[in-house]
Amino acid sequence: MALPPRPVRRVLGSASLRFALLFAVLFLGAGLAFAAVLWWGTAGALDRQTDAAIRADATAMQERWRAGGPAALVDAIETRLAADVENEMLYLLLSADREPLAGNLDDPPPQQDSDIPWFRVPLLRDDEPSEARLYRLDLGDGSRLFVGRDVAEKLRLRTLLTDALAWSATAATLFAGLGAWLLSRALSQRLAPATSTAVAIAAGDLAPRVPLTGREDEFDRLGQTMNAMLDRIATLMSGVRGVSDAIAHDLRTPIARARSKLEEALGSASDEVALRGAIEQGIADLDGITRIFQAVLRIAEVEAGARRAAFAPFDMTPVLEDAADLYLPSAESQGAVLEADIPPNLMLTGDRDLVLQAVANLLDNAVKFTPEGGTIRLVARRGARAVYIEVSDDGPGLSAEDRERAGTRFFRADSARTTPGSGLGLSLVRAVAALHRGDLRLADAHPGDPRPGLLATLRLPA
Amino acid sequence: MRLILSLLALMSTAPFDLAGATTAQAEVVRVTTDSAAYCGELSQRLSVTPHAEAEPARSLAEEGRRLCDNGYVRTGVAKLRRALRAAMNQAN
Repeated sequence: MALPPRPVRRVLGSASLRFALLFAVLFLGAGLAFAAVLWWGTAGALDRQTDAAIRADATAMQERWRAGGPAALVDAIETRLAADVENEMLYLLLSADREPLAGNLDDPPPQQDSDIPWFRVPLLRDDEPSEARLYRLDLGDGSRLFVGRDVAEKLRLRTLLTDALAWSATAATLFAGLGAWLLSRALSQRLAPATSTAVAIAAGDLAPRVPLTGREDEFDRLGQTMNAMLDRIATLMSGVRGVSDAIAHDLRTPIARARSKLEEALGSASDEVALRGAIEQGIADLDGITRIFQAVLRIAEVEAGARRAAFAPFDMTPVLEDAADLYLPSAESQGAVLEADIPPNLMLTGDRDLVLQAVANLLDNAVKFTPEGGTIRLVARRGARAVYIEVSDDGPGLSAEDRERAGTRFFRADSARTTPGSGLGLSLVRAVAALHRGDLRLADAHPGDPRPGLLATLRLPA
Repeated sequence: MRLILSLLALMSTAPFDLAGATTAQAEVVRVTTDSAAYCGELSQRLSVTPHAEAEPARSLAEEGRRLCDNGYVRTGVAKLRRALRAAMNQAN
């Protein structure tokens, strides 16, 4: 079977057309329901009224027959016909041998013996066609009575109603079609900006954004969501570019250093011991580079959130005590003091190893930047819905701008250029905090002091 | 349009069909009271009805007879019936 042309297929398959058709069907369905109710309440009511009148008349006639026999019934029929000013009553009384005894019909209905006692019969009244509604009543002596009404007037009314409803249905169909077309057009128009923006993005241009109408409707919300998504993608891509640049820049120096050392040893080493020493130094430099890569990969792993599946409840107190014990010798070797204030029973749900790594990174930074005679403080406290871990030092601290950028991969403040490190420690701390739906805040440990120090607060929701 | 009309025509027969009626298609039944003979029958009935000479029965009857004589049988029959009803109402 041949498929319709592509534009036709596109129109037939469009969601806006389906919405429009749904609207049209609902509109027509409502119209038909209205027409059915109207019909039931008018023409149907007239029919039911006629049937009720015939039944009542037939019952009365039966009573007359029971009371006075056939003669009384004949008299009753003739009296009723004589007083029928509306000219709509129909009667026919047949004897047991089906001879007419009274009434105003020349013959009984052709199917008078059928099981169902109700009939619709074409009627001729003064040579004008009409229609009769008849009810058959079999009397006890074998005679038979037909009672009915001429329903020509009701038929005329029904025809009028039918015409009116048909015209209304035609108008409703036209309006439904018009409404469907307008709806389809409006949907297409409102979606056009989002579509054209998506096409431009797909073509490689990330700059365009979906224009908003300011109506704050569903389409504006769709546009806002798309724009937020595009902004996020742009930020991430910028971040990826930044990390690539940083990796290239920060690894170039240690690699170049290792290379120059090896080259120098190759040219100037006088004996095997000197050459071996140079090779060992080169291996150590390369191990450092490997550690940087491992740190970058670990941060990426944490940011991906894959380790959230391994979350379990644990007590932070021994973790913090272990971290303090681990860095106490380093602090003391630098002539600094490490003070710890860790309350018992700090229950938390998360990744124990990652939290320990984060606290260790904070302490490592604090030890590195605290001068001789300075103090490093590790304080933990329980808040309403989180555990707060504070690490403060007496170091040079960070300026407000540097605090904003701290945590970006490979970021190192100017004052820290001479200190060993890769600029990845705080990145991992921030990633661990985000993984636990917490955060890392940096502030001055001694505000106003020439050496303000740094207060790093890690908030982890309990 | 034809579909809608067909649907509505179907609806128009529904009340009768629901009541279980049979439809006689072939033969037509005639009404026998739209005839000059019935005019005479009604006149005869009026003549023996009390108060038939009182108004408005009398003038209605006269008009009815005149219409029947002039060939307007249905209208004449209607007038005579109104005359009869008026006379009976007066009797009651």
